[in-house]
Amino acid sequence: MSKPFFTVYCLVIYAFLLAPILVVVGASFNAGAFLTFPPQGLSFRWYGVFFNNEVFMRAIRTSLWIAAVTTVISGIIGTMAAIFYVQHSGKLKETVRIAMLAPLLLPEVLTAISLLFFVYSIGVGTQTMVGMIVGHVLITLPFVFINVSASMESYDPAWSMAAQSLGAGRFTRFRRIMLPLIKPGVIGGCLFAFIISFDIFTISFMLKNVGTSTLPIQLFDYLRTNFTPEAAAVSTCSIVLTLVVVVVSEKVLGLRIHRF
Amino acid sequence: MSAVAGKRLGPLLLIAPAAILLTAFLVLPYLNIVLMSFRMPGQGTPYGPGLTLANYGKFFSDIFYIQQVVNTLWIGFVTTFACLVLGYPVAWQLARGTSSLRALGYGLVLSPLLVGIVIRSYGWTILLGNNGLINRTLMGWGLIDGPLPLMYNALGIIIALVHVFLPFMILPIMSAIQGIDPSLEAAARSLGASKLTAFRRITLPLSLPGIQAGCILVFVLSLSAYVTPSLIGGLRVKTMAVTVVDALIDTFQWPFGSAMALVLSVTGAIFVVLFGRLTVMKWKA
Repeated sequence: MSKPFFTVYCLVIYAFLLAPILVVVGASFNAGAFLTFPPQGLSFRWYGVFFNNEVFMRAIRTSLWIAAVTTVISGIIGTMAAIFYVQHSGKLKETVRIAMLAPLLLPEVLTAISLLFFVYSIGVGTQTMVGMIVGHVLITLPFVFINVSASMESYDPAWSMAAQSLGAGRFTRFRRIMLPLIKPGVIGGCLFAFIISFDIFTISFMLKNVGTSTLPIQLFDYLRTNFTPEAAAVSTCSIVLTLVVVVVSEKVLGLRIHRF
Repeated sequence: MSAVAGKRLGPLLLIAPAAILLTAFLVLPYLNIVLMSFRMPGQGTPYGPGLTLANYGKFFSDIFYIQQVVNTLWIGFVTTFACLVLGYPVAWQLARGTSSLRALGYGLVLSPLLVGIVIRSYGWTILLGNNGLINRTLMGWGLIDGPLPLMYNALGIIIALVHVFLPFMILPIMSAIQGIDPSLEAAARSLGASKLTAFRRITLPLSLPGIQAGCILVFVLSLSAYVTPSLIGGLRVKTMAVTVVDALIDTFQWPFGSAMALVLSVTGAIFVVLFGRLTVMKWKA
């Protein structure tokens, strides 16, 4: 393949990757009552409709709340596991890594089904949000683990031993050696866990309780019956929210988030 | 004594919450699906008392369900192959390209992953629908008289699935190519191999582990996808995952739904293992 042709080919693929997202953003400014092309003028009409739609606003609050709780739990458990992983060597180490990545490797729909049966079999059911939050923690755990363990790549156990020989207690060693090392990883992992949790669909869909839906579920339900550009306005706000989180973390905090 | 015990226990306390979480909420519930698939269908309850093989009997005696598994596998194969063909050159450029396009390209490949799957599938409904952007544009230019059937069929599902899973193909292949020493290709070229031969004999075989990882990932994700097939396929084309979720959520057929989910998973796993064997053999040869 000649070089210009190759570059054009890659550009076409990038356009393909961006196309549906740009189309959604574009459609949100459509002034018409339906998603018609070309748009009947530009307006913020559907953003107004969206902001006054209590169903969507409640869904956003539910999503943010679940993402926040998920991030805290996932952040603590995932960080602890990553510290264990980095400080250990041998057979157990590989097992820990595979187990921690398992929720990412298993099909989300199977995990959702298994959790649905489970919350009913232990008598909790979907009346509470416990099942949904457990599912979100499972899915986001690998991302915290990957980010925190990556931030400790340079960690040498000798540092801790040196500190210990100089009289530093366990807490001091953690605060002065481990914490500065893992801080960017923890923040990056938590931010990513938050974004992932905010977008999770299948688990939320199967474990939702009557009347409380997250934003992706509400959007999905809406799309099955409605074709107004309001859904595009909702989607655009969700995309912007994610973008803000990523830009703040990468530009302002100077973090490099490890996604895989 | 207690100090020694504390030293041993300390690190284990770090891993304990994750271990308990994964055992209680992942391992046990997965085993529970297997048990559920052998339970009796219930009357007014999700499942009844006693165990039976009837759920599997019901599945294998109905050509409708078998056809659906075959269709789902077919969609998975085509999606995986399309991702490989479309993604490999991009992965190569991201790994080896020298232009400033590389950093931008990496961002462009990753960014769709940050947008929820419902939104991305919704974008495709806007593009592919009978009144969608593509059909409207083509009709506006007078290239077609009526709308092309792009949605509510397997083609539409495959187009959207390729989009949703393409990054999962590009990223593993990219890191595999990054791991290949460029001087190997240079050596082959200096010995008179053409660009194509150098690629075919050096780069392609060495990037096989990345191809393998990407293909397995995309294939498994396509089989279990729910949102994209149900929004693009509508009620007309259903994949197995959609049928399973509907059986569980809408009609509360838990035992039968579990049996269907397991048949799909086991069939998918067989193909993954076969593919793994095949590529490893090729790799060694």
